[in-house]
Amino acid sequence: MKVICQKEKLAEGINVVQKAVSSKSNIQILEGILIEAGDNFKMTGNDLELAVECFVDAHIERPGAIVINSRMFGEIVRRLPDSDVLIELKDNNTVTIECENSKFNLKGILPEGFPAIPEIEKKNSFKIDQMLLRDMIRQTLFAVCLDENRPILMGSLMEYDGTTLNIVSIDGYRLALRRTTECVGEKPFSVVVPGKALNELVKILEAEPLEVNVVASDNHILFDMGTRKVQSRLLEGKFLNYAGIIPNEFETRLSVRTKELLSAIERAALMITSEDRGHAIKFNVNEERLVITSSTAIGDAHEEVPVEMDGKKLELGFNPRYLTDVLKVVEDEFIEMSFTTNVGPSVIRPVEGRDYDYMVMPVRI
Amino acid sequence: MGRVIFLVDMNAFYISCEMSRNPELKGRPAAVAGDPENRRGIILAANYDARKYAVKTTMTVNEARKLCPGIVLVPPDHDFYELKSREVMKLLSEFTPVIQQNSIDEAWLDVTGCGALFGEPVEMAEKIMNRILNELDLWCSIGISENKFLAKMASEMKKPLGITEVWLKDVPQKIWPLPVGKMYGIGQQTEKKLSELAIFTIGDLARADIKVLRKNFGRYGEEIHRLANGLDFSEVTEFPQHDSKSISRSTTLKNDITDLDFARTILLRLAEEVGEEARRQGCKGKTVSIVIKYSDFQSITRQKSIMPTYLTKDIYNTGAALLEENWNPHRPVRLLGIALANITDENARQLSIFDLPGEGANYRTERLERAMDEIRLRFGKGKITRAKTLELNKKELRKK
Repeated sequence: MKVICQKEKLAEGINVVQKAVSSKSNIQILEGILIEAGDNFKMTGNDLELAVECFVDAHIERPGAIVINSRMFGEIVRRLPDSDVLIELKDNNTVTIECENSKFNLKGILPEGFPAIPEIEKKNSFKIDQMLLRDMIRQTLFAVCLDENRPILMGSLMEYDGTTLNIVSIDGYRLALRRTTECVGEKPFSVVVPGKALNELVKILEAEPLEVNVVASDNHILFDMGTRKVQSRLLEGKFLNYAGIIPNEFETRLSVRTKELLSAIERAALMITSEDRGHAIKFNVNEERLVITSSTAIGDAHEEVPVEMDGKKLELGFNPRYLTDVLKVVEDEFIEMSFTTNVGPSVIRPVEGRDYDYMVMPVRI
Repeated sequence: MGRVIFLVDMNAFYISCEMSRNPELKGRPAAVAGDPENRRGIILAANYDARKYAVKTTMTVNEARKLCPGIVLVPPDHDFYELKSREVMKLLSEFTPVIQQNSIDEAWLDVTGCGALFGEPVEMAEKIMNRILNELDLWCSIGISENKFLAKMASEMKKPLGITEVWLKDVPQKIWPLPVGKMYGIGQQTEKKLSELAIFTIGDLARADIKVLRKNFGRYGEEIHRLANGLDFSEVTEFPQHDSKSISRSTTLKNDITDLDFARTILLRLAEEVGEEARRQGCKGKTVSIVIKYSDFQSITRQKSIMPTYLTKDIYNTGAALLEENWNPHRPVRLLGIALANITDENARQLSIFDLPGEGANYRTERLERAMDEIRLRFGKGKITRAKTLELNKKELRKK
């Protein structure tokens, strides 16, 4: 193998595939990146849960394939000058990396032992804009459950009913749902993608209006962006019946300016240090204003936010983070917040349209 | 005005329960024995006729028979004792609502300010004792003082059917001469350690240097020093706040075991008891831990954090997973235990989606488990049980 490519392009490619490389594995080859030169120059990382492929523009002089240690490869390339890099496979599996006045010889591993990416049986697929998918994942990822005792909730549900794509995360205390009709699919399907994979995927998806083709089988899901491919194992099991949980009838509704509510909550939450985690901020929903208070050993805070309110007066408590997580990712200027009771769920929705539902359980006060 | 606290201690409770339903046992030596057929079975409670022959609790059946050849031995019926215990507590609650049950056969009563209704403390104690005697056919002793510790000490002084007052002013005369091992809250280990410090009586302890005690026993040292001086400020409360903030159960197995599935069944029964207690107190815990003691007396504990829960299902599933991960089929096990720790007060807490009424949620499990709790409370412990634990009744367990 002998290839020449630009340092910038190479570094970017390594950065992408490294998302799927185990930093510490009992199997040495899993700590490596597979580099292959054939018709194209391709790099692959695979930790058996997640696999990432990336095509890099390169001039291929001689085909071949080898696995090199990901961390070392990355450290070297990142520090090279902005110039052309020559990668050549020599005898004894030695890989030579040359760039201007620098030259490295690295021990490589034969590529035969590198795990193949499972072929996906194309049962279901849909196309969606990369930037939209990226936003939808980002806007739901924070509510993915981290508790290993509820494995199915450690991922997000991706569900397509023929017209609408829903992405749903639930961690037991809150629920985040994003929906869009701006996607084209073949037939309805429903899969649960591990949160870990989505966390890497959002970093790989590009913030540009480019298409991504999503293909799912019973066990795997592939996000195909052309020059980049991300494939993950799916979580097995039945996701929570989220539709049955989100209430539709409310005692109290209010509409409020998103940024104002966020800032007020963030300031009130300053009273709550890590020591009194579990302490709640208090919402007092009144005629024309929402009063937010918090009180701990440090002191107390009082915030008032102008709102338009409809329904009964209400007092209830919240973990402030559960609300700020939502308000930080919502892009609308105004939101509608609806309350059931002080021990039942509250829901944040857009004032118009139905792009998202965020549900938060209160803290008993 | 100071407090008035009673400790009502049921005398020879198990055997008295048996005598109350089987008058033939009255007036002759009798005892409840763990396993009467087995010579090595243990005496759990002997009546006062048997005690005249020096038959004592924890003695083997063989020893008891040697001392008292005519002794009648009865196997234990814990469900029945629980039932009688609840009858006692119900009767006591007619005197005061402030009751703290300390064990199956004793409870503290805060009767401060009840004088107008029931007369002087001693009169009131007589009323309680007589009603228990006449209505339930059971004997008790009552200790009277201004705090829980002294009430407990007082109740020990005259048995059976004794009413004893020990007020703070009586401490030097009535409490201090007693050996330190007789003090409530001091076990054999502490007694031994104290004797090494030349502390033999409760009076020695009361006069001991607090610094020395603190150095040897930490906070516990301060506490026993305070108690030895007759001071105890703890409240009579239905659900005392334990320092450890955990609920645990363990059992020593009749035979050492290596069978994982059987161990799981035992864990389920223990988890059920832990869950029942946690639900009763309304306390959710964030950590489940198990303890495995091997036949060579070495033991390990393993723990795992979960979402706060008091459901048997969650406690058991977490415990069973830990058991599986740490099971060694080549090391026989003699004791198993499970605990729910890191307990949070349920009332100031984050509500969970799983508590909402709806499909597949905790809601249904909780309703089911609470229904089982209620059945057990009303009709006795053995009335409803998980099918899996039925096999345990066959392979009887040594109770801890």
